[in-house]
Amino acid sequence: MNLVLAGMNHRTAPVEVRERMHVQESTLVQALKDLMGHDGILEGMIVSTCNRVEVVANADDKDDAATAIRQFLSGYHRCDLREYESYFYWHRQRDAVRHLFRVASSLDSMILGEPQILGQMKRAFLTAQAAGTLNGTLHDVINQALAVGRRVRRETALGTAAVSVPYAAVELAKKIFGNLAGKTIFVIGAGKMSELATKHLLSSGAGAILVTNRTYQKAVQLAHAFRGTAIQFDQIFEYIDQADIIISSTGAPHFIITKNRAERMIAARRNRPIFFVDISVPRDVDPSVNDLDAAFVYDIDDLQGVVEANIKQRQREAAWAEEIVEQEVQRMMRHFASREVVPTIMALEEKLNRIRQGEMERFQGRLTSLTPEQRETVEALTQGIHNKILHGPITELKSGAGSPEHRALVQVIRRIFGVAD
Amino acid sequence: MHTTLLWAAVAFYGLALVLILPSVRRRRPRLSPWSLGALGLGLLLHAATLAITTAQTGRLQPTDVRSALSLFVFTLTAAFFAVYLRYPITSLGIFMLPFVFVLSLISALQPPPSLSAGGLRGGWLLIHIASMMLGYTGLFLTSVGAIMYLIQESELKSKKPRAFYYRLPPLEVCDELYYRSLVFGLVFLSLGILTGVVWASRTWRGPWQLDPKIVASLVTWIIYLILFSTRLSGSGRRRRAAYLAIFGFAAVMVTFLGISFLSSQHGFFPKLGSP
Repeated sequence: MNLVLAGMNHRTAPVEVRERMHVQESTLVQALKDLMGHDGILEGMIVSTCNRVEVVANADDKDDAATAIRQFLSGYHRCDLREYESYFYWHRQRDAVRHLFRVASSLDSMILGEPQILGQMKRAFLTAQAAGTLNGTLHDVINQALAVGRRVRRETALGTAAVSVPYAAVELAKKIFGNLAGKTIFVIGAGKMSELATKHLLSSGAGAILVTNRTYQKAVQLAHAFRGTAIQFDQIFEYIDQADIIISSTGAPHFIITKNRAERMIAARRNRPIFFVDISVPRDVDPSVNDLDAAFVYDIDDLQGVVEANIKQRQREAAWAEEIVEQEVQRMMRHFASREVVPTIMALEEKLNRIRQGEMERFQGRLTSLTPEQRETVEALTQGIHNKILHGPITELKSGAGSPEHRALVQVIRRIFGVAD
Repeated sequence: MHTTLLWAAVAFYGLALVLILPSVRRRRPRLSPWSLGALGLGLLLHAATLAITTAQTGRLQPTDVRSALSLFVFTLTAAFFAVYLRYPITSLGIFMLPFVFVLSLISALQPPPSLSAGGLRGGWLLIHIASMMLGYTGLFLTSVGAIMYLIQESELKSKKPRAFYYRLPPLEVCDELYYRSLVFGLVFLSLGILTGVVWASRTWRGPWQLDPKIVASLVTWIIYLILFSTRLSGSGRRRRAAYLAIFGFAAVMVTFLGISFLSSQHGFFPKLGSP
């Protein structure tokens, strides 16, 4: 196993550089074949998204995969890689495994916990697999990275809290109403933010939608886009009692929803909760409406505050995720290490068994007088010596596998017992 | 024998409580199979305890604080599983299991009954007790829904998401739990009071109508009737209703346990009861 990873991401490289190093999905298979064409490369995979480029390769022990990756990148992108050297990070072996696990878990993403990266990595994995460039250690590593990514999503809340204003509005609506099915949204005024929030609410299952605007034509357009109903602006209060969620962004100089009005709305709704999303500046909803029973008013700053709290929340969850990743890295490395010592253990067993059999045969002539029972005893005795001699070395081989000192120990044991490399 | 079993059940309830802590800390939406398993084992052991006691005394009806509490805890735990099927949320464990554990502990710490009561028999009484247990359980769930509602509501009003915001279910789910269990609890509380009155009028001599426990029961019944009717008419403020529901359950517990020590006729001093 000789893993090397070269990569750049949103932190190490500006977008112009990432663009320059991007590998398009349509040419990915060709790129993988180029990579495999370099000396000593056994396996390879390329992940290229708008936020990162990662090239990872497994080479045979004699060759340096880093040189091969450098040659590949400068050849593929027709550039002098030295110009871009400072934008790259390089990881080997354990560090490369950890990096891949962190990327798959979305711990290395610009927006912590965003869900796309896992899918992107899976596509890169499938493409490489189909192209035949993953068939050994690296295959196992990537496969495990995807499993770790799924585990992090399953066992932590890393990706759950909303980290943009429109999504925060949806999250709050769900925290109030639970299921949004059958809930009515009333969009007062238009604007990018309110349109986005409405779109997300609808895709989360919200039912009917009413739209109004000072310019009725605009209301009709928006209503058409959302398959809702357009309302004349001066008829707001005839329809407002139907709304569970009110998204307001009129830019009117005074409050449209006063406390008095809200009280009447709540009474008409028989105290069922109502959610005001006020993204208008100056505000459309009197903030004191929030003091009323079952009324919740969030203005743009409040939503921003929720986003910030959620980001902190994601960072706390990231600490758990990092622990999971570290656990998984250790497990993977132990797995590789124990796989590495298996040939040595088998060679030792074979060698001692050969010695034992040889000696038994050598004394065959002198042992003819033994009864079958005595013969069995001699067999058991020699087998016992065999087992006891090997017990120590095998235990040593199995424990602490993976560290550099351990690799030296393996060599010593092999030399002492005369097991050829 | 049944004492050991009861303690084993208490131990498993405690274990289940400890086992929900990681789920709470790590914001898992559901309880771990380990804590549910421990709780289930506790419930089975508890069922065995009740079965043995019933076999020994020849009756299901509790005659003392220990067995009454024990029966209540058993109903609560069984109800937990029933409710968890519909609302598989960690918060249900956070609010129910500590109560289950503490009540089971109190029940196990009581001295075992030494007296055998003669008068506490009959079908009416059995329905009375079963209804009361179901009613109390429903009203406990009502107060759980109310507490969760109040906490989540204050999180949402404060606009600053904190620990509970992320862990508690949506406001409407808290409210749904509150209202459904209120209806359930009220139905069985009414049935329990009604059957109790029928049984008492047949069995007891003397002015039983002024028995403290009966009076207290009527007071709690009125509290819940108010909650129900204001909700039905849509005039009740939800926050105020939640506070009243919590107060109502405190009144239930006083009625259930506290008054029993004052009542000469009722509950847990069967030797004073008139056969």
